[in-house]
Amino acid sequence: MLEGLKINKGAEEAVRDLLRSLLESGRVSGVLALGRTGRGNGGVAYSLFTDPDAFGADGVALPLLPFMPANAGGLLSRLTLKGPLAEPVAVVVKPCELRAFIELVKRNQGSPDNLLLISSTCGGVYPLEVGANDALEERLPGYWEAVKQGELDSDIRPTCRACVHFVPDNADITVALLGEADLDTQCALYLNTEKGAAFIEGLEDLQGTPLLGELEAEPIQRSRDQRAAYREELFAGVEAGLEGLIRTFGRCIGCHACKTVCPICYCSLCYFDSQDCEYRPEVYETELERKGGLRLPPNTIFFQLGRLAHVSVSCVGCGMCTDVCPADIPLSTIFSKVGDSVQALFDYQPGRDVTEEVPLMTFEEEELVQVAT
Amino acid sequence: MEEQEFIPKIVGFLCNWCAYTAADTAGVSRLQMPPSIMVVRVMCSGRVDPLFVLSAFLRGADGVLVAGCWPGQCHYQKGNLHARRRAAMLKSIFETLGLEMTDRFRLSWVSASEAPRFAEVARGFTKEVEQLGPSPIWDEAFL
Amino acid sequence: MNNKGAILPAEDGVESAVIGWLKEALSKKVFDALLIPVEVPAGDSFAYLLLRNPALLENASPLPPVMPVQGAKAISRLTMRGNGSKRVAAIVRPCEARAAIELTKLEQAHLDNLWLITVDCPGVLPLSDYLEDPVAGAARFAEASQRWDRAPMRPVCQICHHFSMPASDLHIGTLGSAEGTVFVIPGSPKGERVMENLGMPLDAALDDWAARVKEMEEVQRERRRQAHTDLKAGIAGPDGLLDVFSSCINCHNCQRVCPVCYCRQCYFESAALKLPPENYLARAGRKGALRFPPDTLLFHIGRASHMVLSCVSCGTCEDACPMSIPVAQVFSLLADRAQETFGYVAGRSLEDPLPLVAYEMDELHQVEQPYVETYHGLQIADCEQEVQDA
Repeated sequence: MLEGLKINKGAEEAVRDLLRSLLESGRVSGVLALGRTGRGNGGVAYSLFTDPDAFGADGVALPLLPFMPANAGGLLSRLTLKGPLAEPVAVVVKPCELRAFIELVKRNQGSPDNLLLISSTCGGVYPLEVGANDALEERLPGYWEAVKQGELDSDIRPTCRACVHFVPDNADITVALLGEADLDTQCALYLNTEKGAAFIEGLEDLQGTPLLGELEAEPIQRSRDQRAAYREELFAGVEAGLEGLIRTFGRCIGCHACKTVCPICYCSLCYFDSQDCEYRPEVYETELERKGGLRLPPNTIFFQLGRLAHVSVSCVGCGMCTDVCPADIPLSTIFSKVGDSVQALFDYQPGRDVTEEVPLMTFEEEELVQVAT
Repeated sequence: MEEQEFIPKIVGFLCNWCAYTAADTAGVSRLQMPPSIMVVRVMCSGRVDPLFVLSAFLRGADGVLVAGCWPGQCHYQKGNLHARRRAAMLKSIFETLGLEMTDRFRLSWVSASEAPRFAEVARGFTKEVEQLGPSPIWDEAFL
Repeated sequence: MNNKGAILPAEDGVESAVIGWLKEALSKKVFDALLIPVEVPAGDSFAYLLLRNPALLENASPLPPVMPVQGAKAISRLTMRGNGSKRVAAIVRPCEARAAIELTKLEQAHLDNLWLITVDCPGVLPLSDYLEDPVAGAARFAEASQRWDRAPMRPVCQICHHFSMPASDLHIGTLGSAEGTVFVIPGSPKGERVMENLGMPLDAALDDWAARVKEMEEVQRERRRQAHTDLKAGIAGPDGLLDVFSSCINCHNCQRVCPVCYCRQCYFESAALKLPPENYLARAGRKGALRFPPDTLLFHIGRASHMVLSCVSCGTCEDACPMSIPVAQVFSLLADRAQETFGYVAGRSLEDPLPLVAYEMDELHQVEQPYVETYHGLQIADCEQEVQDA
């Protein structure tokens, strides 16, 4: 099996060529990737492309754009929720999006069949507001310059700067980006699976020399150390205790956008939006009698703790929650911090392996003896 | 108010097949037990969604007890083992966020024949919660 | 109604006068509880509290600089299952009161035991502007509202023409009042009873207030008309609309924070739109690409079709949009036009029936265009002419 391919083209061009020829050759029927939307004003969204021209030099597709308008893990779930794909579709997603999709597959919310999963060593993405201000384009030169050095631009989302899982798990093809000094002229594609190799083998327009050697290299390790240190720094800033929770979530507006964009929160109707949380006036009146005052709408802290209980074990730290929060609450930091501790408890890493069961759906006979007293 | 003795309000989710029966027997046998535990009868400790526990705490419970069958004795075979994982997860969340709920939350195994053990669990946990004092959530307006 | 009001001394400013007045109403048991914005413990925002403990009023504000939660949502949460047994005074902004009235007609709120109390509203700051620096934001708001300068406020607040009394039970008129005083104006028999119970005779003429409101309303109406004209030019045609929503990330947060979008589960998040992969691929194949998730415009236009007749142009949707799409401005335009069609103003009164619930035999003939006439390429006007000629 071919393990990798070194192509004499810049990474951006090589990936475009790869996707274009996959479509042209009919090896895939569609490609899910980022692209420009609208006519004039530079919106960016994921699209399911079938026209190869989208990946031409002037095409609207932007497969490597450092931007995440939605966690594509959730989109892949939406695409394959009602059944597996009958025809192959290639997708270009970030490592955290891929991990989210694996978690969703474990929960029967999607199927990886017929998906060609392409990901990259990720240098992080810009906050949504950069896209909202139409300022993505101007950031790109600086972004790629930093990525070449194995560094992260300072305007990259804090969540990404604190991400230690930026090398994709489960990608059929990994595009080496971070720390690749010559990515303007060279592109290294690592073919991690037979499926990946089979799709590439003999593809016209994508000639290169076989690539041997490990993806894991010095710049990646260095970035991981830097990011791990920043992660600790962010975690240390989480305010502790009930008082800390109330201070942190005091400005929560109860929009539940964090839940809506969370790829792991897949329930079609959240408990906290359901009838179970619509109380009769007497319930409030009793509480008012006791406390002298209560917050309306209710359940601000309950919602956050409840969501932590439901999703922290599978939280992939993609940062969508922080990104959409209209009240600028550092949700992702809190969820990642709690996620790390819950996941460590079960030696679990979300998105690592599709055959690994979600810890709360299984158990061992002999474990956690100290929990019951 | 200060003068009054603090009797903790502990919500006890008791498994129908073991802990609930043990609690019942303990009552009938007039074993000494504090009046602190408000019992919610569930069919299995595995029925206790983490949200039940959170909901009890966020409505001001001073303590939450989940009591089920000993591992290997679950009426539904493995429900209690699920409960154990959830309890471990909840405690991990509480600890990470520095919430004292971790000390106010207890998972215990009590079989149907262990009425004295139930009384002991109830007494011991009540005492611990008593020492922690009333939950600060009880009169917190900004939840 | 509204011919007479009472004068409330307000030497220390409107806020403290209103708080003092509410405290008195609580202690005299005219109300059992208040629903009012209170500064949160970290001091970086406001939240609605239902309170009966006067100590909690320390940090309360009848006119906070932001609207993090639309007050009608809080009112609906409290009363969606029926009227409470406690008499609650809800201190809200006029657009929140109007949304509460719409929700009541939609059977999502019950107002029998709840008094809507409003204050002449200078607008609110965009949430993101305020959160950048809450202290500076509060100062900026105080300074601007003093001068009735709407420039730093939310875009829809800048073009709001329903900033004064809509149909609240009691209204605090700050416009046109003498230095150091405000008007308290009952707007319903319920409100009048409260004034009676508080021993506040209705002996103040309101002409100054009414004149000042009318004057400001005219200015605002003109601004709104101008803004809508500009906006309409920008969004005309499917391309224009696509452009406005091109950066939409489909988080549906506009719908989630919208006070009148009350469905527990929105149609656009339901199973109805979750389709087998072949469907998406076929749609993509037809056009070369399918934005994913699909149906972005369907969502926005569909949502408009569901709620625009009750839209109060509060701007909460725009505040909550992570992509800063001018969604409230677009919806305010759609709302005005749609409501005009029925001579309806969302939240004007509890008595006006919802336009899509009530109908008349003889109305809206302009939307009927029998196919025969179209088939023959005739305009309705031509037909009418023919009929007249005959």
